[in-house]
Amino acid sequence: MVALARKTLIYEWRRFLPAILAVGFAGLLQVLQAALVLGIFSSASVYITGSHGDLWVGYPGTQSVDQGRALDPNVEMRLRMDPAVTRVEPFIWLDGDWRGDQATGGVSVYVSGIDPRDNSLMFARVLDAELRSRLREPDGVIVDRADLDKLGVRVGGTAAINGHRVRVVGVGSGLRALGGVNIIASLETAARLDGDPASSGRPTYLVAELAPHTDAASVARRLRHAPGFGPYDVWTSRAFARRTVLYWMFDTGAGAGVLFLAGIVFLVGAVITSQTLVAAVAGSVREYATLNALGVGLPALRWVVLEQAFWVGALGLLGASVVGGVLMVIARARDVPVLLSMPVTLVCALLVMLLAAVSGLAAARALRRADPATLLR
Amino acid sequence: MNASAMSPIPSLTAHGVARAFVSGRIRTNILHDLSIDLYAGELTLISGPSGCGKSTLLAVLSGLQRIDAGRVTALGNRIDEMGQRELERFRLLHTGFVFQGFNLFPALSALEQVELPLHYLGLPAKDVRERALRALEEVGMGARSRLRPTELSGGEKQRVAVARAMAKEPELLFADEPTSALDAANGQMVIDMLHRIARTHGTTVLCVSHDPRLLGHADRVLSMEDGRILSDRRNSPLAPSHSVNQQASSP
Repeated sequence: MVALARKTLIYEWRRFLPAILAVGFAGLLQVLQAALVLGIFSSASVYITGSHGDLWVGYPGTQSVDQGRALDPNVEMRLRMDPAVTRVEPFIWLDGDWRGDQATGGVSVYVSGIDPRDNSLMFARVLDAELRSRLREPDGVIVDRADLDKLGVRVGGTAAINGHRVRVVGVGSGLRALGGVNIIASLETAARLDGDPASSGRPTYLVAELAPHTDAASVARRLRHAPGFGPYDVWTSRAFARRTVLYWMFDTGAGAGVLFLAGIVFLVGAVITSQTLVAAVAGSVREYATLNALGVGLPALRWVVLEQAFWVGALGLLGASVVGGVLMVIARARDVPVLLSMPVTLVCALLVMLLAAVSGLAAARALRRADPATLLR
Repeated sequence: MNASAMSPIPSLTAHGVARAFVSGRIRTNILHDLSIDLYAGELTLISGPSGCGKSTLLAVLSGLQRIDAGRVTALGNRIDEMGQRELERFRLLHTGFVFQGFNLFPALSALEQVELPLHYLGLPAKDVRERALRALEEVGMGARSRLRPTELSGGEKQRVAVARAMAKEPELLFADEPTSALDAANGQMVIDMLHRIARTHGTTVLCVSHDPRLLGHADRVLSMEDGRILSDRRNSPLAPSHSVNQQASSP
């Protein structure tokens, strides 16, 4: 078969360049805004993604990790009874009001009470053993380096949370939170900071580690809703992190914003691409009409246009991938929160090809003008 | 074909054909109750002033346009009764076209221009290549088959267009003002080529032109005016073309 679509695309590349650029930029915008939004909102689940542990046990119906309620401590027994569970660790999460030494006023903070032992699960990916060991000091807390100014303290300085004195014993990175400041403390310190006597000392979550090669989802199903232990629910850490990020995305309206912008990008991209392809079809309309006169049917000619649209989409995608990859590396190097998962990247790629296909279909309508009778003069 | 040599049966027939164009409330009759028989192995030329309806007649006879009344029979098929798909299929199998503009794809080489419609016939790639090369050789473009339209002269482009039309080995070949965009020498070459195709392949060649230089090269000349055929003149008797035809078709 003569590769009419491809040869025309190569030979008349100047004609197709605007469409390729439109598709490429549309793809780039889609993927970068997705990466930014995911990057920003994934920090809401840093408690989960920054920790080891396969299962999270929390109050039933908890929509986001920052909305947990105190659990019945006996649930821990239920977890330990399961043969697949190798380790269970409590995690205390509570709101606090931070008063620093300097004039920063009150700062809303989230206190994480974790097991400070070297090999514990919580924040295992973010805090090293050395930092962790400093938490064993009574009333010692760790904050993110980037939050020091906001909190108005230095390492070694003191402040008050909920009226209790704490001392900053170290700084970490990758601990920044959405909507507040993360403060890491030991379980004992956190329990002391809790102003509510009803929940004081009770864990907000239990994090469990499973034996290697265990299917976390099936264990979560098995452990869920056992009677006699008070209300609790079990999620895999992946599902709970996802639940948290989605909650933040849609609760804040950011998700709707992303979808709205994606729609606009798609529309603008499709308009430019289809118009360029229409112009390309119009430029060859006499040749297409001649083929039709010779008996090549309109459906076959439509395929040629769709194939051109496919190549425009593929080339645009290639360009967007290269430029997007470079921009992601630059963003990472400059601490811009960007995050891309394979499924999101694939969805963006799919959207780009869909955009090309829609544009191709729109452009194929221009073939109606390829009436061979108009060639007779 | 042998039968047609003994008692010539027209390959293309129009009977009582009428065609009008409606623009707003104004209805313009282009063809008036027109009847005509065309024969295989002949180059028939329709001449007449512009606006006389000769291009419309070609469009109607080739199945590119519908008729309002009458009937058109091509190779024994009522093409006026065919649907769009059926007509496209008929054109694919049986008809070739050469237009005034050469209408070649800028991106394709001469060989690819000729190969392109052949692929849609469903021929194997090897046959497509062979047929295309043979057609290009026949129009004297074999040596320039790798060149793109921008590298060809007007005459060469039209020869590629002729090769594209005849590579399908159609029984019917239509040419609309094929020499209008060419100089005298190239125009002469193209009309000779069409004439040769009619003679050697037994093709029914219908050519529409107002170019007076072509009158002497046609087997038969129909003069049209105001949608009617005024005169039907034969430059060569019907029989010889059919005897050639007979020779061509016998083993």
